[in-house]
Amino acid sequence: MRALVVEDDKDLNRQLVRALTDAGFAVDSAADGEEGFFLGETEPYDIVILDIGLPKMDGLSVLEQWRRQEKKMPVILLTARDRWSDKVAGMDSGADDYLAKPFHMEELLARIRAQVRRASGHAKSEIECGPLRLDTKTARVTLDGQPIKLTSHEYRLIAYLLHHNGRVVSRTELVEHLYEQDFDRDSNTIEVFIGRLRKKIPPEMIITIRGLGYRLSPGGDAA
Amino acid sequence: MQLNSLAFRLFATTVAWTFIVLPLAGVLIYALYRNDTVASHDRRLGLLLTVLQSDSIDNGGDVPGTSNDVGEPLFSVSQSGWYWQIKPLENKPGRRLISESLADDIYPLPSELNVDPGDDEKRWATVIGPASQTLRVVEVMHVFGQGAEAQRYSISVAGTLAEVERSLGSFRARLLQALTLAGFGLIAVTLFQVRFGLQPLRAIEKNLSAIRTGDAQRLDGKVPAEIAPLQAELNALLKSNQEIVERARTQVGNLAHALKTPIAVLVNEARDDKSAFGGKVIEQTELMRDQVTHYLNRARMAANVGVIGRATDVKVVGEALARTLQRIYKEKRLDISVDCPDGLRFKGERQDLEEMLGNLMDNACKWSIATVRLTARPLADTTPARLELLVEDDGPGLTDEQLAAPVQRGRRLDETQPGSGLGHSIVADLTSANAGTFERGKSDLGGLKVRLILPLAAA
Repeated sequence: MRALVVEDDKDLNRQLVRALTDAGFAVDSAADGEEGFFLGETEPYDIVILDIGLPKMDGLSVLEQWRRQEKKMPVILLTARDRWSDKVAGMDSGADDYLAKPFHMEELLARIRAQVRRASGHAKSEIECGPLRLDTKTARVTLDGQPIKLTSHEYRLIAYLLHHNGRVVSRTELVEHLYEQDFDRDSNTIEVFIGRLRKKIPPEMIITIRGLGYRLSPGGDAA
Repeated sequence: MQLNSLAFRLFATTVAWTFIVLPLAGVLIYALYRNDTVASHDRRLGLLLTVLQSDSIDNGGDVPGTSNDVGEPLFSVSQSGWYWQIKPLENKPGRRLISESLADDIYPLPSELNVDPGDDEKRWATVIGPASQTLRVVEVMHVFGQGAEAQRYSISVAGTLAEVERSLGSFRARLLQALTLAGFGLIAVTLFQVRFGLQPLRAIEKNLSAIRTGDAQRLDGKVPAEIAPLQAELNALLKSNQEIVERARTQVGNLAHALKTPIAVLVNEARDDKSAFGGKVIEQTELMRDQVTHYLNRARMAANVGVIGRATDVKVVGEALARTLQRIYKEKRLDISVDCPDGLRFKGERQDLEEMLGNLMDNACKWSIATVRLTARPLADTTPARLELLVEDDGPGLTDEQLAAPVQRGRRLDETQPGSGLGHSIVADLTSANAGTFERGKSDLGGLKVRLILPLAAA
């Protein structure tokens, strides 16, 4: 899962990036509206944390322009202006949620997970696929109730597949959603991670669709 | 018309002026007319005297004579009020001649009353003559005969003033009628003038009232040149007032931004420090957060208190909040309904209503299972006019003890939902700042019902 943090306060920006990285996200960050807008316009993020009071271009303008360009990624507005008129204006600009500063990082993470789940069509905080279960609240993956040890990249990969289970996910899509912008992307590494995951969960659950990508299936039905 | 009003001042001034000037003008006009009439009467007498004097000289010799025709038929009518007489002076014997109208009567002569002659040697006096007639008499001395025979005679003509008095009386009555009519006319014109002249002020009063009730933001409309500067100044004052409030709000917003971001950084940083110090920092920063939120809200309220001319459409605000909350609580698939008649307006700041309803509806959404309801109604027969807002949910609600407890800042009745515990306290503060009331009770939906009574703006 890829996240974008647009926050001009460098300490808060750093804290947000760290918390999101710890929560299993590949995180890019921007310190002003223009840079944030550019990243949101060109990269496929699964969630955006957007401050309203930004230099160069304010958060609401950034959001409105994204929405005009049909960018549908979930956006959580972060602001010190906590009046309801600000919230209404923020939501009317196309935000999916709104969090006033100061906030508890846990609350923000919970809202981020809820938005990511919602965007991929899952109502519950737990996503299941056969014996495999992802608790989005705790970022824990279990197989038949037993926790599986995963590296951060493995977690990102299985979490993304679980969020989009039932549909074919291309390698390009996986690369775009699993790595930060500056990461040296090589689609072959995806195959390496798929191979590792197949050793930790029933291998037939990850089905390779030749020429198209991968699909997570509860029973491992044929391609 | 009130005593302490511009209309009364203008009216009273005109009435006073009318009552002073019109009588004075009447007296002056009457005096001029009287003088003119009497002078005309005197001119006639003087003319008759000249004719009589010439006639007495022409028809006499050493003594006066007369043809008994001096051009005035009334001299022949007994007690007509028009008389003449020629009589020797200094009690010397001589010829005494009188008009037929005088018969055996006499009238006093100015010389007998010691009236001095004028530049033209004529003496004038007003005397009481035959039949108590008021007569104007003109007299001149003439010497008939020469040497030892020379004799001074008084030649006089008298004319009654009754005609003059009649004419003056008639003029007086007509003058009084005319001036009375003019007086009433002036008062009527003044009344109209006052009403017509002060109409722009009444229009301004109406506009100001519209601003106070929130129907207008500035004084509009074409006004006379004298009022235009006042209108411009009032508009400038209103604009300045709005700008001050806006600046105060912006400053509060900036302060919020300046304080809240560093607090957020501190809280998050301290959460990574599991030591006692980290715990203390978290505890204190949480306290700071609550205090900052509380006092910023107070500052916002203070900026709004007393701001004139604000009225807020309840339905518009309620529906905008419902739309926003529907998105925030999308996952709960709540039924958030707004039941509010069109045009119902809260007499106060939009931001205040948004904060009150926003906090209450947000709270209701947090706790509700499926339904949140906002109902707004005008209250009948309340002075000043009030409206009722009910925010209800189908959540667990509050116990009787919790409902009985006063609303306390930062005191959360349940810790299982996120929040600062400031929601109801902010609403209670805002309600109080807007001269309203705040009550909590049980809803027939099963959860909490919060009832706000707030000022209603005129429709």
